Amino acid sequence: MLKLSIIFTLILVNFLARTDADIINKNVERVIDLSSQLVKVSATITLQNAGKDTENNYLIVLEPNAHANLSYISAKDSFKEEMKITETKDAKYGDSKVFSIKLNQPLAAGRTGSVSVEFIYTGCLIPYPLSIAQKDKQLVRYFGNHYFYSPYTSTKQTTSVVVNTRSIENYSKLKPVAQSDSSITYGPYNDIVPLSSDPLTVHFESNAPFLTVTRLERLIEVSHWGNIAIEENVDILHSGAKLKGSFSRYDYQRDTSNNHHSIKSYKTILPAAAHSIYYRDSNGNISTSQVRMRKDWIELELRPRYPLFGGWRSCYTLGYSVPSYQYLYKGDNNQYVLRMRLIDNVFDDMHVEHLQTGVVLPVGVTNVKLSTPYSVERLPDSQTYKYLDTKGRPIIRFAKNNLVEQHIQDLEITYEWQPVMLLHEPLLLSVALYILFVVVIIYVRLDFSISKTEHLKSQ
Amino acid sequence: MLKINSKTGLSSLIIFTVLLLAWVAGFSSRLFAVIRFESIIHEFDPWFNYRATAYMVENGFYQFLNWFDERAWYPLGRIVGGTVYPGLMITSGSIHYVLHLLNIDVHIRDVCVFLAPIFSGLTAISTYLLTKELWSAGAGLFAACFIAIVPGYISRSVAGSYDNEGIAIFALQFTYYLWVKSVKTGSIFWSCMTALSYFYMVSAWGGYVFIINLIPLHVFVLLLMGRYSNRLFTSYTTFYILGLLFSMQIPFVGFQPIRTSEHMAASGVFALIIAVAVLKYLQSVLSKAEFKSLFIVGASISAGVVFLTVVVLTYAGYVAPWSGRFYSLWDTAYAKIHIPIIASVSEHQPTTWFSFFFDLHVLITTFPAGLWYCIKNINDERVFVVLYALSAVYFAGVMVRLMLTLTPVVCMLSGIAFSVLFDLFLREEDTPRSSESDVDDEQTVSSNRRLYDKAGRVPKMKHEQVKESDGIGANLRSIIIIVMLLLLMLFAVHCTWVTSNAYSSPSIVLASYGNDGSRQILDDFREAYYWLSQNTADDATVMSWWDYGYQIAGMANRTTLVDNNTWNNSHIALVGKAMSSNESAAYEIMTSLGVDYVLVIFGGVIGYSGDDINKFLWMVRIAEGEHPKDIREADYFTEHGEFRVDAEGSPTLLNCLMYKLSYYRFGEVRLDYRNPGGYDRTRGAVIGNKDINLTYLEEAYTTEHWLVRIYRVKKPDEFNRPKIPFSKRIVKTQNFVSKKNTKRRKGTLKNKPVVIKGKKLATKQS
Repeated sequence: MLKLSIIFTLILVNFLARTDADIINKNVERVIDLSSQLVKVSATITLQNAGKDTENNYLIVLEPNAHANLSYISAKDSFKEEMKITETKDAKYGDSKVFSIKLNQPLAAGRTGSVSVEFIYTGCLIPYPLSIAQKDKQLVRYFGNHYFYSPYTSTKQTTSVVVNTRSIENYSKLKPVAQSDSSITYGPYNDIVPLSSDPLTVHFESNAPFLTVTRLERLIEVSHWGNIAIEENVDILHSGAKLKGSFSRYDYQRDTSNNHHSIKSYKTILPAAAHSIYYRDSNGNISTSQVRMRKDWIELELRPRYPLFGGWRSCYTLGYSVPSYQYLYKGDNNQYVLRMRLIDNVFDDMHVEHLQTGVVLPVGVTNVKLSTPYSVERLPDSQTYKYLDTKGRPIIRFAKNNLVEQHIQDLEITYEWQPVMLLHEPLLLSVALYILFVVVIIYVRLDFSISKTEHLKSQ
Repeated sequence: MLKINSKTGLSSLIIFTVLLLAWVAGFSSRLFAVIRFESIIHEFDPWFNYRATAYMVENGFYQFLNWFDERAWYPLGRIVGGTVYPGLMITSGSIHYVLHLLNIDVHIRDVCVFLAPIFSGLTAISTYLLTKELWSAGAGLFAACFIAIVPGYISRSVAGSYDNEGIAIFALQFTYYLWVKSVKTGSIFWSCMTALSYFYMVSAWGGYVFIINLIPLHVFVLLLMGRYSNRLFTSYTTFYILGLLFSMQIPFVGFQPIRTSEHMAASGVFALIIAVAVLKYLQSVLSKAEFKSLFIVGASISAGVVFLTVVVLTYAGYVAPWSGRFYSLWDTAYAKIHIPIIASVSEHQPTTWFSFFFDLHVLITTFPAGLWYCIKNINDERVFVVLYALSAVYFAGVMVRLMLTLTPVVCMLSGIAFSVLFDLFLREEDTPRSSESDVDDEQTVSSNRRLYDKAGRVPKMKHEQVKESDGIGANLRSIIIIVMLLLLMLFAVHCTWVTSNAYSSPSIVLASYGNDGSRQILDDFREAYYWLSQNTADDATVMSWWDYGYQIAGMANRTTLVDNNTWNNSHIALVGKAMSSNESAAYEIMTSLGVDYVLVIFGGVIGYSGDDINKFLWMVRIAEGEHPKDIREADYFTEHGEFRVDAEGSPTLLNCLMYKLSYYRFGEVRLDYRNPGGYDRTRGAVIGNKDINLTYLEEAYTTEHWLVRIYRVKKPDEFNRPKIPFSKRIVKTQNFVSKKNTKRRKGTLKNKPVVIKGKKLATKQS
């Protein structure tokens, strides 16, 4: 029943969508990479303008159920140049998300062009079975679409699904299909009508770390004495198959193979100039971390206090300092520009569910402007007081959900600030000490005794 | 701060410098643990203090006073505000508050960690003041330097050891200083200050009982010695009344000062001194013969009345008899027989001779000399220090823990001894007494002049000294000085060594050193506690032996059944019973107590001796005390009366819950090639029960070195499952096979190369 209705609605949608078929997807080559916990889909589309007018935009429509999981989308042309993507609304496609890619070179009638689009989905690999014992293998299922979902007719399309393992339990077979070592190739499929969809499932073993950062609080503290302190509070969760039954340390110690579904450690990349690194939680320092200097970065191997099994969580604080000259630039008229990463690497193929970044600016800044590489939710600014401050320091805060590695980009904050403010606190301290000494000097020279005899006695 | 009106600025500068250096040295020698490990709260009790302080900082003082902690002593709970000495929390909370007023955002944990080292400086200063009052500024400086680094005090006040004693020793010394000052001056101001300082002490530590017994004792002895004066009367009556009222303001103390025997001495002496004052007044009015008869009659009647009142009140129940801990001060075997829970704490054991030397080094030999000088040149305040020394020596001999109260007086008296000694042997060489002469001499002389002119003995003493020193040659003199200096140097070396090796381990983080000197950190406690805090339900209840209650509450933030507060012996006995019964009996207790997890400490893998199996006999003993029918200590010994965990151990032991939880699956572990599986390094034996199966519990987590093992108590439906019928099992296998069916496809490469299409499917299904 359900299937029938889906097909029916699909046909209906197809019928509706057929109207603007000026562009044809001549060839779509799609790679679905399932080797990590993320689903990375990259599609290279050769498109042709079959209409009469020059086309400026190319539309991407997401499957109706996929938009919540989409974390990142980008498009490049054949010269690997970034193209601008804007989200649009189109009643034709129901509540599906529609993105419009602005073509770098308008496509004249009859001409062909090329667009490669990259999608990163999170939370699309669902462990099945949902809970496993310690020595079982972790199996996950992927539900997708055999066809490239597009509002245009596709002449030819192929899809290859890359998994990182040879043990594929099961996969849907829409012919022609072929399985090689660790990938499944679907297609070529010819003459696919717009917005067609056919459920694709792959059930396979995955030992990639299923680690989700459920909450990341990043605090950047700018000091004009030459230091920028960064602190990240990270809540992580093993989002793979849950551990069923008991945990056995004995079995865990005996199993020395690397591909186990539990996570022993992971690597965080810090900027090369980072120093004073600390890694701790509410109970103090976590002694099981290692810092390795690489040429262009610092690699931090973090081991949580305990190995993470499915459903286990942990949280920690990671902090470090970087010299400000690499990130803080001075403009004219006491104007400063801070260019820092909005989010930084936590581990490879990371998935951050919720990010909250705060930037603490020095005392007495004015005219603060924030610009971010992508849209974020700006939270109300607040104030904080540190180290004998009499005036507060403003904190710029913003939040964003569902981020991946591709979101590691720079934010830019410009503000105006008087360098004289640097001397504010040292002067304050000197004056306070001076007053203290003067008071003591006066006090010792005064005589507060009420009876004279007492006074004489003490001498 | 320093009320030294020395005429020469130089000597006050020297005093200031020496005290500052003593503070710095005391502070920095307490930082071994912070530098080696990190800024962390140590051991057990400090974790509760830290948790309470953090609670107070977060919720405010009044919330703290009304805090009912439902996470402790489940299901009873604990009224924290009324069962705690809040002085420690208030001290660090107010330091934190002041720092935050200045916008210096120090974490409360760091305030707590560094509180004791900072207070050690204050202790040094108050010791200086007290010794100066007793003898001379030079002796005070010696005493201040001694107390700054003496191991007996450092053992309780290293960074991270956030306990009452850390601030209480300062309060103790300062109260004594103010008391001596008030006895000397007889001013109400100083005795009010004494009462205030006493109030702080009461709020900080249960050891305030020492003060409230020592000061009356001092007064009493002074009365016996016929040294009654109006000064004494003023200072004691003021102190007693104010101190009594102040001490009753602490919720935990409440009405104890008028209702328990420990405080009765103070009120008795109060009555006595008033009686003496009345007699003295009468003496001035009456004739000698009249007074004599009146005195005998009056004294005997009043003594009898006071004694009878106390006895009657005690029997009537208005005054509580001595508590068990105090009985154990008189009779060291008392606790072992009657209160095993007190005896089970190692710091309540009698002190060995070794630890006197270990904690005090050369001071233990020099302090009798100082005592002798005090007795020889006795005056009102020296009576006090003599009594202080004698009582503290006794208590330190009874209980290791009370070494702490002995340490300050030993430092003071040794300071006096050294000061006198140097005074004697350095004096002649500086006959011109230039301004660069040693500050000790200068101070001794000046203060001698000031203090002892009344007694009239000091000039005589000096006279003697001069005589004696006449007979000593310059070379002998310098040899003695050098030897003395060497002793002091050895003392400093010993203090540093002891502090670094014995007293600077956080005991939460363990470190082991490899053959090449590399350090390996064993962080199993925090690993386990953090696992509990992150991966169990927020309201989960954890059962463990009481030693770990505070740590679980502090680091894992989970509900515990028993903790280090040990106020409810029967609850502890119930946990002990669960640990020492077999699994099914223990399960009944655990379900009745609502236990979700059981935590045991097991040191067999790394050879950690303080684990639960080694403490197990105490659990049995405490359980036996309350449940003698179910648990008998004798059952846990072999026929030869030995406590063994190997195959010859008693079957009761080999099947009790604690044994099973400690050694679950340990029988399969081979630690090295020389020993067979299941070799316990702590006990040095192969365990007797290698095949342990758990029915009612399952292993939830075990730390990296097996030090902490956490088990989950299963719910009744988890082990009490109905038997699965055979047909149902087949359904499951069919499911499994059908899954495999789909795998068999063209082009699928599997590990098994002998795949014959169609055929294998049939063979598998059959």
